Amino acid sequence: MGTDTEQLYQARMKRYVTAMRNGKPDMIPIRPFVAEFTAKYAGYTCQEVTHDYDKAFAAARKCAAEFDWDAVVGNMVYVWTGLTEAIGTRYYAVPGIHISANTGFQYLEPSEENAFMKAEEYDQLIEDPTGFLFNVWLPRISRDVSAMDEPTSMRNNLSFLKGGMAMLSYFNAFGAQAALLRSESGTVSAISGILKAPLDIIADKMRGYLGLVNDLMERPKKVMAACEALIPHLTHVALSGADPDKNVPIGFWMHRGCVPFVTMEHFHKFYWPTLKPIIEEIWSHGHQVLFYAEGNWNAHLDSFAELPAGSIVYHVDKADIFETHKKIGHKFCLSGGISNTLLSFGTPQEVRQCCKKVIDGVARDGGYILDAEAIMQDDTNVENIRAMTEFTREYGAY
Amino acid sequence: MAEEKKILRKPGVCIPWEEKVKELPTILGDEEIVRKKWEDIDALGYVYIWQCLLSF
Repeated sequence: MGTDTEQLYQARMKRYVTAMRNGKPDMIPIRPFVAEFTAKYAGYTCQEVTHDYDKAFAAARKCAAEFDWDAVVGNMVYVWTGLTEAIGTRYYAVPGIHISANTGFQYLEPSEENAFMKAEEYDQLIEDPTGFLFNVWLPRISRDVSAMDEPTSMRNNLSFLKGGMAMLSYFNAFGAQAALLRSESGTVSAISGILKAPLDIIADKMRGYLGLVNDLMERPKKVMAACEALIPHLTHVALSGADPDKNVPIGFWMHRGCVPFVTMEHFHKFYWPTLKPIIEEIWSHGHQVLFYAEGNWNAHLDSFAELPAGSIVYHVDKADIFETHKKIGHKFCLSGGISNTLLSFGTPQEVRQCCKKVIDGVARDGGYILDAEAIMQDDTNVENIRAMTEFTREYGAY
Repeated sequence: MAEEKKILRKPGVCIPWEEKVKELPTILGDEEIVRKKWEDIDALGYVYIWQCLLSF
């Protein structure tokens, strides 16, 4: 590793961490969550980066080397469909198989009657979450895994063998990717580990959104007990993947736990009481959590403000970032707020104006990391990304 | 496929050592080595299923 590159890495890490602790670094850190944009920039199709993680990693490193960014995710496309196809996963539309090679992968939510967990199965989940996942959930979400009352098969056995080996291979590759990002371009790996909220995971992968909102009305005690049963497992998974150096945060992906997907009453009764203790436990171990608040969660800022100062980094998507800053900016670093619409369809001048407005409004005292509102896909314009980066470097120095 | 008997599974665990050790003959050597390796590799099974749920 060149000394200059390592010095650049150290400077970027200091800049990124200082901002995340709500401090004022030497300049505003740039941490763009670029997914299929990397494929477009590197000359790959969505199929190539989704199905071949070596290409996804190479595309991420090419972007990191050619843009002056402080931190990136090693592979923001993240879902490696080589792995999910080896398992026989049902809930993806895979680029190049089910959809065009030039379309990003899609999640498919089953109909209510085909939900991966039935309404009458809450007790099984509550009693033994891990056993339920292996014995009931996995056979439902996989085309190959046999249910407990079915004869086993070669496809069943191979699913576990190939899936396990593929997952190990993929996760190990992230370590090598982080080392290459550091040595090739002095770029920090932006996050480590994963968290989802109990209520979200029940909607996303078990009952479906419609099934869950019905359950909130028809069997609320079961939903609450299921959320409570998931807490220790989600906490354990989050901590087991966290950065041992406690520099970068755990990624927390927020989906449909906010108004208007659920009512304010349901947020206060189910979502927040079963998420807050997870965040507090993680913080007691010294790890920050990146709240990637997809959509608009500003109705819930008073709840998030209950968390200890510095315990989270709060990413703003479609919400009013100036309101967010006013309400929780004194406690937490913010990120995001740069319009994806402008980055895709606007002009470089419009992008620069947007960056200026956000920087002027929320970054005056530090505690801000520049990023788009949402993960950037292959509709993002290269010249606009360049304008965002160059403007922030010039204007974002403190 | 045989039905799985009811086991209390803590986070990080698929088949607890306390259950596994019942299947083994009296361990003649260092039980701690056997226990530790059982738990280390069992934890990979836990990672597998929970990452399937959360990440994929």
